[in-house]
Amino acid sequence: MAATRTRGSSFSRNVSTVTSQNSGLKHGPNGTTFLSSGIPDLDKILGGGYTLGSLVMIMEDAEAPHHMLLLRNFMSQGLIHKHPLLYASASRDPKGFLGTLPAPASAKEDKTRDLTNEKDLRIAWQYKKYFDPQLNISSNNESYLCCTGAQQDYCNDLDLRKPLDRHFYSGMNVGCVSIQDSPDLASLQDQCAKFLSQFSRNEANISSAGRIAIQSFCSPQCKFANMEWHMLSFIRSLKAMARSSNAVVLVSFPPSLLSPSCSKRLQHMADTLLSVRAIPDEDKEMAKLLTGYQDMVGLLNVHKVARLNTQVPVILETTTFSIKLHKRRYLVLECLNQAPVDGSSGSSYNTSGSCSGSTKAGSLDF
Amino acid sequence: MEHKELNLLNEALGFHNNNLYGRFVLVEDTVDTTAAFVLHQILKHSFSSHPSSSVIFLALSHPFSHYDRILRKIGCNLAAQRDNKRFFFIDMLMLQFPDEGKPNDVGFAAVFEKIESVIKALPQDNTKFVTIMIDDISFLQVAANGSSNDVLDFLHYCYTLTSEYGCAFVALDHKDIYLNEEKPAIISEMEYLADILVKAEPLATGLAKDVHGQLMVLHKQHGISPVKIHNFHFKIKENSIECFYPGTKI
Amino acid sequence: MAESICRSLRDGALEGELAPTLTIKDSLASPFSFNVFSHILLQLSSQKSQSHGIVIVALSRSPSFYADFLKNKGVELSSSNKWIHILDCYTDPLGWKDKARKSGNVNVVSDQISLATSSYKSVKDMDKLFLAITDLGRGLVGENKVRFCVAIDSLSKLLRHASLQSVAGLLSNLRSHDQISSIFGLLHSDLHEERATAALEYMSSMVASVEPDHHSSENCLSEKNFTQGKFSVRSKRRNGRVRETSEKFKVEAEGISFASISAEDGTTVAGLLPKVQFNLQLSEKEQIDRAKVVLPFEHQGNGKPIQIYDGRRSLEESSGEGAPISRCKNEDSALGEIIYFRDSDDEMPDSDEDPDDDLDI
Repeated sequence: MAATRTRGSSFSRNVSTVTSQNSGLKHGPNGTTFLSSGIPDLDKILGGGYTLGSLVMIMEDAEAPHHMLLLRNFMSQGLIHKHPLLYASASRDPKGFLGTLPAPASAKEDKTRDLTNEKDLRIAWQYKKYFDPQLNISSNNESYLCCTGAQQDYCNDLDLRKPLDRHFYSGMNVGCVSIQDSPDLASLQDQCAKFLSQFSRNEANISSAGRIAIQSFCSPQCKFANMEWHMLSFIRSLKAMARSSNAVVLVSFPPSLLSPSCSKRLQHMADTLLSVRAIPDEDKEMAKLLTGYQDMVGLLNVHKVARLNTQVPVILETTTFSIKLHKRRYLVLECLNQAPVDGSSGSSYNTSGSCSGSTKAGSLDF
Repeated sequence: MEHKELNLLNEALGFHNNNLYGRFVLVEDTVDTTAAFVLHQILKHSFSSHPSSSVIFLALSHPFSHYDRILRKIGCNLAAQRDNKRFFFIDMLMLQFPDEGKPNDVGFAAVFEKIESVIKALPQDNTKFVTIMIDDISFLQVAANGSSNDVLDFLHYCYTLTSEYGCAFVALDHKDIYLNEEKPAIISEMEYLADILVKAEPLATGLAKDVHGQLMVLHKQHGISPVKIHNFHFKIKENSIECFYPGTKI
Repeated sequence: MAESICRSLRDGALEGELAPTLTIKDSLASPFSFNVFSHILLQLSSQKSQSHGIVIVALSRSPSFYADFLKNKGVELSSSNKWIHILDCYTDPLGWKDKARKSGNVNVVSDQISLATSSYKSVKDMDKLFLAITDLGRGLVGENKVRFCVAIDSLSKLLRHASLQSVAGLLSNLRSHDQISSIFGLLHSDLHEERATAALEYMSSMVASVEPDHHSSENCLSEKNFTQGKFSVRSKRRNGRVRETSEKFKVEAEGISFASISAEDGTTVAGLLPKVQFNLQLSEKEQIDRAKVVLPFEHQGNGKPIQIYDGRRSLEESSGEGAPISRCKNEDSALGEIIYFRDSDDEMPDSDEDPDDDLDI
């Protein structure tokens, strides 16, 4: 009784608010600050976005490139907010990757999209009264609300088929590093340190936030790919540096290429740990089991949510989400809706209505 | 009920008779279930247990501000304790020893010297009430470029302080890192040494909102006194830990 | 047997023979080798034996721990200095503290340990360690043919500091030293490669292993495994035979106690006839009959419609048939009917409605 009451009250007190002076940042609980992941649904799942000072790690699927979706949206959202960016990848020409970043959708498109969404959504009439659009991930109502109007909103709907305008990334505050040919990570570490030193956390108000994105961190073509301890110590120091600066470091890595203990160590280092998985193509079983299987491109797992400045873990009601491309343009995350086949799994429990609400309650529990 | 002083965790750790001093407490956790809260509880207890107690904290995974905020919520002001010279925060977040080939033991010896000099600088009577805490052993190994021997030497030296001065030694490590290793030297040797072993594991049925995991507290005490095992579930809150036996949660 | 190991350690070495060596090994599932070690230490110090002194090489326990331990067990410490000496490799095995003391002006805390202790600060050097041990022993018993005993409280620590080869070299030097009557040491077998364990077992004349009672790995941390277990000894005898014995042990507050395995425990008598009054075995015919029984939940389809035993039919037809569960013939299902009386008129007739017909999909 007491617990629920306190939760209720703290919930209303701690609702994240967009700070007016710094675009793209909002206050979270426990003195943390969020910046947007570029995916409205993911922001909601994580309780507001990525926490400043945290290390976000994405475990790649060996067969599917879904981690690129998360990376692109993260980078693109940062560029829209004029957050300085440092991007490192194992390709020869990392700068070319910037040309594939998605651009924010125009408001008009948003509106039509929202309408169709409402039409698509079908639920039994007697449950309508339980249906609260504010809490519903799949409806995208809330993201619509915060994404209309100017581009300077906290989180934009990014259109994956519309390339980002050049002027966003031609400026001085975008750095690209290729890690393919460097014999070790020392130079990358120096560049990260230099980059992060711009955002060192000393004054109370945050003037600007930085984003570092490292793609396919231990991919096999890198020269240091077999120096596991070297890579671990790099990530460790990156984490320590991130802690003392107003920046988010996003690293994707393929765990299957590492030794199990090394991969576990990396998972422990991560503040926020996500993984993406491919789903089998034209799998009849799965199509029967999951509603909306046709639109899914993959699965996203949330293993850990950053808990800076608090000891309370974030427990999500569901940790697996389907990645869908709405109209082949927008990245949408939905809770898995299991068709009630085997009765044993509480499928009704996992409906999309309840899940994002609980996400918030969990992360803001005081 | 929430603010009951003697909850199951405190009882299992033996807080009621102050007996962490002279002991080595090893805390183990996994990716799914963190046991950092056990450190926070011990930290809070160490300050309240004795008026002249002090804590030396070797931080490898989180900065001071993180612990300060957490401890403030459970009723302990670390910044004030630091100013009172009762809390010694050794920031080792960026600790990294030079690459392979060169011996690391010089670096670890220096860290140990720092710890020992802190203890020696204390008034003679207060050295009995020192708690040494390491918030992540696995990071020590990363800092030492994977050399488990150097880490074990360092941990042994920390351990000798428990008999030399009667300090309490508390360390956290991640069990699941070593599951795939054939002979996981660090974790096994630490388990042999530990007087009290605390293991945090997720529930077999997965994570739940009301039960964050299960704890097992094992008292070994050099095998001189009989072994005691406590098993219970826990739920972490901002200002306290709720512990209960399986199935007794309302 | 615990008693017999102590006896052979007490008996010591014959002239021109290698000293008897005991390795006590354990694993994390039952980490009680130190209890055995201290038990033997106590036995050796309390009874008359060939050795006139004990050198304890302390690597994993502090000298003050041994002092407290012996005092608690009623050993006179004031006189013990004549026959017990601790080589302290625990407090400062690598000389770190020493270095700090030399550089800074920190005052050395002198521990008031009532046992004779010498500190040793370079564990990595096995040759020096050998010299230190023999010097201490000679200091205890003198230069003549009187012998002393060496106790190493962690061979595992030694193996971590030095190579297997040099540890084996140390052991072999100690064994062939003509003033050493016996050696015993303990080993945590799961810290080392199998090769290291095997090499040390090869070097020793007796191997005692501490094992958990039950090898069920399902939950190795049950409380039972932490209070009792199996203690088995393989000793190589002079005549070339190997004797293997095992005992049960129990760890209590006072120490470790041994008991012979009683017949009911079943570990040694597993092959013998069970001592149960009931017949739990099935004869061959019984087994065949049992295999024929078709259980009601098993698929009975052999072309005929599937019948599910619903618990009612036996009331009507129990007259001539055998066990109802083995029937699988096609019965007339019209025989069964449900007669339902409504309890009262205000009861809603809800049961015969489709609960989902209000769904508007």
